[in-house]
Amino acid sequence: MAKAFKYGLKGITGYLEPAERELLRGLFADVVAMLEPEERENQDPLSALIGLDMEVKEPTDRAVRRLLPNVMKDDGAASLEFRQLTERSLREGKIGALRAASLGLDKDDLTLTETDARHWSTALNDVRLVLAERLDIQDEADAEHVHLMQDWSQAEDVESYLALVYNFTTWLQESLVQAMVHSLDTQPGTRR
Amino acid sequence: MTLSVALGPDTRESTQTGTVVSADSLTAPDVPWNLVIWNDPVNLMSYVSFVFRSYFGYSETKADKLMMEVHKKGRSIVAHGSKEQVEQHAVAMHGYGLWATVEKATSGGKDGTSGKGKGKRG
Repeated sequence: MAKAFKYGLKGITGYLEPAERELLRGLFADVVAMLEPEERENQDPLSALIGLDMEVKEPTDRAVRRLLPNVMKDDGAASLEFRQLTERSLREGKIGALRAASLGLDKDDLTLTETDARHWSTALNDVRLVLAERLDIQDEADAEHVHLMQDWSQAEDVESYLALVYNFTTWLQESLVQAMVHSLDTQPGTRR
Repeated sequence: MTLSVALGPDTRESTQTGTVVSADSLTAPDVPWNLVIWNDPVNLMSYVSFVFRSYFGYSETKADKLMMEVHKKGRSIVAHGSKEQVEQHAVAMHGYGLWATVEKATSGGKDGTSGKGKGKRG
């Protein structure tokens, strides 16, 4: 059984069972696969290098759209223009955090530096955003409903399984954030 | 957002002053822009507050106040600046997984609206 992350003398530490590590590895890899920009044959290599993507479109998948939202609420054209300049590097940043968190799972000792913790917290958050879309969590009532699902022996179908996974990642992220807040509180004067 | 920690009841709405913006300043190149964070049922309240503290360097009190405003009113203006500045913040927020948009500060900085500028437009 996993233990909550906590902040102590060694920094932020946690404990995960092999099966839990395997589960998280799979989730991180799934989100990486969703975020990987598709390679195009006539992609300008220089543009790709500096993060431009003039062919980019608003994602059709709801979960991907939640990970990479429009920058303006009511202006699709301006949002698209912004996407051309920023989406590729945003995808790469998210993929980097997910891969870093995944690599951390290969070590027995789950001690996180400040950077590791940041990668972990955003990786877990992105996983939760994707799971929430799959579970159709639209409002607080939906979230409450999913939250009731806590007993693994009740997992009978894909949806209840996803709900349990969602609740596990929520609990894990919450404990990590509490540890990060604790770390922030004990380092006065440091802003980031 | 998902409630994770109990917070005190004293979470007054932010006092973004409703400055009256003249038509002249609306067309000026340095018209201010707002960074808006929107509520969603997934992000943890603790996480949103942590992001406000660690990214913007806001105090715990200010970060919690803004977070509660997002949670209760559905949105909150968490930063102002030039278009470039708030766009940069928006990308950073997207990196953290927060739902952020930018908007021209035409509604006088008043918050809790539907996000559509009322009255004069720039």
